[in-house]
Amino acid sequence: MQGQATQIIHAYKQAPWRVQRQWIAAFLLVVIGGAMIAALYLDVTARAAVAGREIQELRLEITTIQRENADLETRLADLTSTEVMQQRAIERGYRPVRPGELDYVAVPGFAKPEPDILLAAEDTTPHVETHPAEYTQSLLEWFDEQIKSGGAR
Amino acid sequence: MRQQYAIRSLIIISGFVLIGLAVIIQIVRIQNSEQAMIFLSQGDRYSGEFQMFYPERGEIYDRNGHLLAGNRTVYEVGVSLGEVENPDSMAYILGTYLGLTYEEVYNKLTGSPESWEYVVIQDYVGTETVEALKDLIQQLSDAEDPRLNGLAFKPHLQRSYPEKDLASNVLGFVTRDGRGYFGIEEKYNDLLAGNPVQIWIPRDPNKASEIPRVPNGTTLVLTLNRDLQAKVESILEKALSDYGAQNGTILVMDPRNGEVLAMAATPRMDLNNYSNYFSLYDNGSQYNRAIGMAYEPGSVLKVLTMAAALDTGTVRPDTTFIDTGSIEVGGITIQNWNRDSWGQQNMIGCLQHSLNVCLAWISSEMGVQSFYGYMDRFGLGHATGIDLAGEAIGRLKVPGDGDWYPVDLGTNAFGQGVSVTPLQMLMSVSAIANDGKMVTPHVLYAMLRDGHQYNVPSQYAGSPISAETARTLNEMLAISLEQESSLALLPGYRLAGKTGTAQIPTDYGYDSTHTNVSFVGWGPVDDPQFMVYIWLQTPTTSIWSSETAAPVFSQVAEQAVILLNIPPDIVRNQLTSK
Repeated sequence: MQGQATQIIHAYKQAPWRVQRQWIAAFLLVVIGGAMIAALYLDVTARAAVAGREIQELRLEITTIQRENADLETRLADLTSTEVMQQRAIERGYRPVRPGELDYVAVPGFAKPEPDILLAAEDTTPHVETHPAEYTQSLLEWFDEQIKSGGAR
Repeated sequence: MRQQYAIRSLIIISGFVLIGLAVIIQIVRIQNSEQAMIFLSQGDRYSGEFQMFYPERGEIYDRNGHLLAGNRTVYEVGVSLGEVENPDSMAYILGTYLGLTYEEVYNKLTGSPESWEYVVIQDYVGTETVEALKDLIQQLSDAEDPRLNGLAFKPHLQRSYPEKDLASNVLGFVTRDGRGYFGIEEKYNDLLAGNPVQIWIPRDPNKASEIPRVPNGTTLVLTLNRDLQAKVESILEKALSDYGAQNGTILVMDPRNGEVLAMAATPRMDLNNYSNYFSLYDNGSQYNRAIGMAYEPGSVLKVLTMAAALDTGTVRPDTTFIDTGSIEVGGITIQNWNRDSWGQQNMIGCLQHSLNVCLAWISSEMGVQSFYGYMDRFGLGHATGIDLAGEAIGRLKVPGDGDWYPVDLGTNAFGQGVSVTPLQMLMSVSAIANDGKMVTPHVLYAMLRDGHQYNVPSQYAGSPISAETARTLNEMLAISLEQESSLALLPGYRLAGKTGTAQIPTDYGYDSTHTNVSFVGWGPVDDPQFMVYIWLQTPTTSIWSSETAAPVFSQVAEQAVILLNIPPDIVRNQLTSK
């Protein structure tokens, strides 16, 4: 009786349709796994590409703003040039001062302020030298790097 | 039957395997062939493009932060040829707006090679014109009119000078190819221009990478004081007009550190229209006469002779000299400027009356070795080292030179037979105003780069005389101005100075009708804070410096004390004693 049951189980295990199903399952597993990796890869590379383009666009925007800034600065200098300021002063009834008309007062501790241009001697340009690799690397490149570096960080 | 089926299957499978292997082998072979490498390199060529990124040219400011040279947006106006629908209308419109002829534009639109996708119609077009064109495009677009289809504007920066001709001789200019000429623009061209960067921009979005930052050119802050510069230029223009002088130059320098506060020269030009250069100047040395043109300075050089004589102990302020009206040096008779004899004089009198005979006697007493040694230490015949392009050196003949004669010892003592630039004279005399220490003149105050400020330190160019000699001569020159009741004086301020009226050498001897007039002076005498040098070429209303350059000095000194916040001597002494 027990031997008969063993034979049935053995026959069941070796049934052609069952072997076939196992092969199909294994094949589907590989296909689904591949599809998942491909989808992940596509997603990551698409994001990296979009981020890369955005960075380029932002950089171009910065360049445009810097150019406009330089232009505005020059226009402002046009409006405050010696010739223009003298003309405006004359129109408002001012005249050049003479030495005898000046009063000098000693102000203890007073020091002549530095011109704005020297005070503003700080870097206003954003400069992130490089972006983290996560933003620029594809999945394959990451795998490649990990393999080459032996997984060490 | 089953066995036969298996054999057939095996043969078919083997066939497919062989075909597959052949395909793979062929793929590998093609991939690694010589031609494949060529195709790959061709593909790489089109996978992106090299783009050159030019940094913004550094700006130039005066010492108080006023912009002297900046950058302005201009546009390249071009057309995408494939999008043009009506070249006839476009040529007409663009010709009208851009100031070009219809044919010029039409030929570019229709006559360009077929491979061209884009053609530049005009570059360096101003913002106003481009804005007007953009408005027109918008109107046409609203009306679905395709006449300006394909028109494109590419903005970029162009050098601009808000103050137009102010300090033009110091600044120099930049041409459209981005190269600086003359003055600061040429001297510091590499710093101002920065370093252009060429970058490979891939077309593959996956390879999109950040464009590296291209640092702007270095911004320069000058020692010039814009307001003083404007006043000095205005005074110079008026002086040329009042005295009928051909050209002129005025220099203002801080004798304590060599900072040039103003440097005016004629003619000036609007730097935004640098194409006028060729109509204004015959050669480069005329661009900035203060540093580029050497001339015989005349009696202002007596200051150096007297300084040398006092320093060697050849004379003292109270040394007496009997002026007989002439002296023989090297077999040649030297006379005074008015050919008169001035009788007994001390050294202050020799300076006050500017006696050639007295100064020729002094140099003879000093001897060749000593006199020329001092002149060399004062920097005559050497470049000052100012940080401007185009400096001339002048010439001091010395014993041993083929064209030096013994009489030169006498004539050189009063500024004849020696050529200097105005700046050289100013630098030499700075030793007298600065306790014996001669300063190197400079116009660069600081550099700004990458958020850091680099100040330019002052440099001394040696101590040709002792501090005691300098103070003695300083006092002598102040007294001589006061006793002369010179037109150079300024009420409320004690000033020192010396006039110079020089005949002009020609190929046939000295011109008897024209002179070069000069004046060197400084103040306040007890604490010199500014030095002024004036040179007017061939004034016609008077040939004498005392009547032309001296009053100009007074006008410059008046503006200097106001704009440099120097109180009158009495007030200053009260303020410092508190």
